[in-house]
Amino acid sequence: MIQVQQLTKSYADLKRGQVLAVAGVSFQAAAGQIFGLLGPNGAGKTTVLRILSTILRPTSGTATINGYDLRTQPALIRHQIGFVSTNTAVYDRMTAWEMVEYFGRLYGLADEELGERMERIFSRLQMNDFRDQVGAKMSTGMKQKVSIARAIVHDPPLLIFDEATVGLDVLVARALLKTVMELREQGKCIVFSTHIMREAERLCDRIAIMYRGHILSEGSLPELLDRHHETDLEELFFRLLTDHDAAPAWADNAG
Amino acid sequence: MQWSKIRLIFMRELRDQLRDRRTLFTIAILPLVLYPLLGLSFLQVAQFTREHRSTIQLQGAHDLPSTPRLLDGDSFAAEVCPPPESQLLRVVTQSSKPSASSAEELRQQAQQAIRSGQCDAVVYFPPDFAERLAAARAAIGAEPSSGDVETVTPPPIPEPRVFASTANDKSRIAADRVDRVLRRWRELMVQQNLRQRNIPLAATEPFHLVDTDVAEEVSRRALIWSKILPFVVLIWALTGAFYPAIDLCAGEKERGTLETLLSSPAQRGEIVWGKLLTVMTFSTATALLNLASMGLTGTFIISRLSSLGSAIRIGPPPLGAMFWLAVALIPISALFSALSLAIAAFARSSKEGQYYLMPLLMITLPLMMIPLLPSVELDWGSSLIPVSGMMLLLRAVIEGQFGDAIMHLPAVVIVTLGGCWLSIRWAIDQFNNEGVIFREGERWSLGAWLRHLWRFRDRTPSFGMAILCGVLLLLVRFFASFLIGTPVSWSTFAVVLLATQLALIALPPLLMTGILTTSWRQTLLLNWPGVPSLFSAVLLAFAFHPAALVLHELVQWLYPLSPDVRAAAGTINALAAEAHWLPRLLVLALTPAICEELAFRGFILSGLRHMGHKWGAIVVSSLFFGAVHGMLQQSLSACAVGIVIGYIAVQTGSLLPCILFHITHNSLVLTVGIHGPQLVDQFPQLRWIFQVEQDQFRYQPYVTIAGLVLAVGFLAWFRLLPFRATEEERLRSLLEHQSLRPVAK
Repeated sequence: MIQVQQLTKSYADLKRGQVLAVAGVSFQAAAGQIFGLLGPNGAGKTTVLRILSTILRPTSGTATINGYDLRTQPALIRHQIGFVSTNTAVYDRMTAWEMVEYFGRLYGLADEELGERMERIFSRLQMNDFRDQVGAKMSTGMKQKVSIARAIVHDPPLLIFDEATVGLDVLVARALLKTVMELREQGKCIVFSTHIMREAERLCDRIAIMYRGHILSEGSLPELLDRHHETDLEELFFRLLTDHDAAPAWADNAG
Repeated sequence: MQWSKIRLIFMRELRDQLRDRRTLFTIAILPLVLYPLLGLSFLQVAQFTREHRSTIQLQGAHDLPSTPRLLDGDSFAAEVCPPPESQLLRVVTQSSKPSASSAEELRQQAQQAIRSGQCDAVVYFPPDFAERLAAARAAIGAEPSSGDVETVTPPPIPEPRVFASTANDKSRIAADRVDRVLRRWRELMVQQNLRQRNIPLAATEPFHLVDTDVAEEVSRRALIWSKILPFVVLIWALTGAFYPAIDLCAGEKERGTLETLLSSPAQRGEIVWGKLLTVMTFSTATALLNLASMGLTGTFIISRLSSLGSAIRIGPPPLGAMFWLAVALIPISALFSALSLAIAAFARSSKEGQYYLMPLLMITLPLMMIPLLPSVELDWGSSLIPVSGMMLLLRAVIEGQFGDAIMHLPAVVIVTLGGCWLSIRWAIDQFNNEGVIFREGERWSLGAWLRHLWRFRDRTPSFGMAILCGVLLLLVRFFASFLIGTPVSWSTFAVVLLATQLALIALPPLLMTGILTTSWRQTLLLNWPGVPSLFSAVLLAFAFHPAALVLHELVQWLYPLSPDVRAAAGTINALAAEAHWLPRLLVLALTPAICEELAFRGFILSGLRHMGHKWGAIVVSSLFFGAVHGMLQQSLSACAVGIVIGYIAVQTGSLLPCILFHITHNSLVLTVGIHGPQLVDQFPQLRWIFQVEQDQFRYQPYVTIAGLVLAVGFLAWFRLLPFRATEEERLRSLLEHQSLRPVAK
């Protein structure tokens, strides 16, 4: 479904010089799987996901999504993905229905198909109460639902959630995780980034621990615990991070 | 790019903007309310001027002559102030003798009276005014027949004074009114004097002057409106474009919806076009609404004013003018919209965006002001200036000079559309540039920046460095031109030229290459291109020369040289003709070829190619190459030559063929230009190739055409060469030709 190969992203910063935000990240995920990127703030998760959603271009390396190349076929990739992030807001002056319809049309869906699909999505995500409410008047939870509806309206095989539960209360966050699990059951491949251990444990089939642009370790939860002889994900996480910080600086660039 | 997606984005943005109250206010409500309000207040002022009753304080009224009468009881006499006027003037007489003795005291008293509102103006008659006036009149009347009228010096006539404050509207109006009354009074006095001396009244005015305006009423109106309307419309087109552009780019960044849109399948080009159409709609609508509102208010106010008998003699704006203005508005607002969008894409927030309006105005305002200057008219030169050309064309159409307008229409259209295309391209590039779209605020310091430049040098210069180098060369050249005087001998001329070329053209890019890049070879294209390329470049220069000569003539016909410039060029040609051919070619062909190629096809072109368009880089580097030639006529020809050389540089990846082309081209210009006529005289068989008519020396037309065909052939050969695309160019071409097939399973 998705193969990421040696993805790097660097940018120029006056103070720090050339900054390597993503340093050769590789992973793969299959349909019906939730792949979790677990890492602290500033680990490079958002940059990786922005690259996968074709908003940013990689400095080197590439990824193929459903067979399409990220570097040379970004327009086609966008049809294969749905992207939900804290940075992808909803329009203030558009109603929930208009917003989802607009993106459905941009994906080139025919009116009839779009109408049917929207009815289904709106009832499944319980959005009918506020379908005519404009974005500016929605609560955070409502906005998050609209974002998800917008991301799945074209039924993409790959969904990317970037810190999707940030700023949500427990109830809404729970509902969101439930939706993500339902999407997995429908056979979607999901890449999910978070800095919350509980979410990663509950949700992800495979977890990659990311820190300072690198993936430190990757595997299913039992595999990870087994590999590093730990019983708890949080302990494992801290140990990997501290070990990485203690390692000589050149290791950073060796990837 | 799909039109359906562009339309979808356009409709959404349009609806979004229409739901925004602030936008609606600026676009629709403001113009609809602004002009009627302005008009109303204007009418109010006019009404006030007409109807307000002025109070005049008359000092020394007891000392007025009995004939002709100025006062009739408590008001002005009917002879000097007929009825409708007399109702607007109230006279307060102060019969007691004024207490003030000096002029300054009088002024202060009057000022006090006007300030305190006692009166609007003060008229002061000096003590014994009547007596002294009578004495003066008697003195003039006493010697009617002495013959030598000029020698009669009348005794000094005391001067009445009118005190009014120009800083006070009421007072100014009162002064105007009382001035009219006093003038009439004086007129009556003159008539009496004449009667006393038995001179007919007609003697004061031996003949009348009759003014006849040959302009028709419509064109009179057109002259005024043709200057006001385009200016107002353009200003509003810009304002109407700028604010929606800020909201659609910086505003979306701020609200976080831009990333949502960028991750949708809409391509950047489609997004820009959709937004552009929205901005354009608002720009046009604002300008049109302003035009309509101003036109209607203007018509209404003017008709009211003329019914009030005002002296203002402009009619309402002609309908035809309004129509043409609306037509011209479309391309102009497209241009402004694209510019605003490109600038707005750069801003991180709406607030930051607002700051960019001023620089944009600073660039566009002069272009809008040029056509308002009385000496500027629509001609070949002015029609090529963006915005100004369009405004001048409009003026010609409004004034009814259709012949002129049609002749310059193609130039104006090409320039305007070219401007639109470039600015739209720029806007799309801005959206494709993640450095612009995801720009983050970082604290900038010169030291950190310089360190950064040094530590992270690339093999070739960046786009910005190339632009910097170009601008630097232009600046240096500009200031150096003040220092270098007209040469007097060939040797000084040669030394100055060599020094300028080496120090001002070649040295800066060489230094920049050394400091800012890591690869001399890649930056300055120091590669061996192979013998065929070298030969082709030389032959191309030969084949191209006749066409270059025609172009040169064409440019001189469009923009004739001023006599000064012609004289200076003549001097230089004469100096060059004096010299031996070898030093001449060394100084005028070889040195410029090497120095200029190092700068323009070396450093600048290498840097510009990071923009990702081969042709964009070639054109921009040629613009710099042209501009550095200083004189407009030379610049245009140089620019065309620069494009050809730029293409050779890109295709061969080497500076050598460029230098060879440049040397050959310059040598041909020198040889044919200076010795052409002599050569043809010596060898008449050359008349097969050259045409000599009086002072015109050119190739035979068939030679020119054959040369062009050959040149195209050579260029086609260069096209076949496997040119080395830059990383950016490869990526762009990949993105523009995305295959629909999956690359892997």
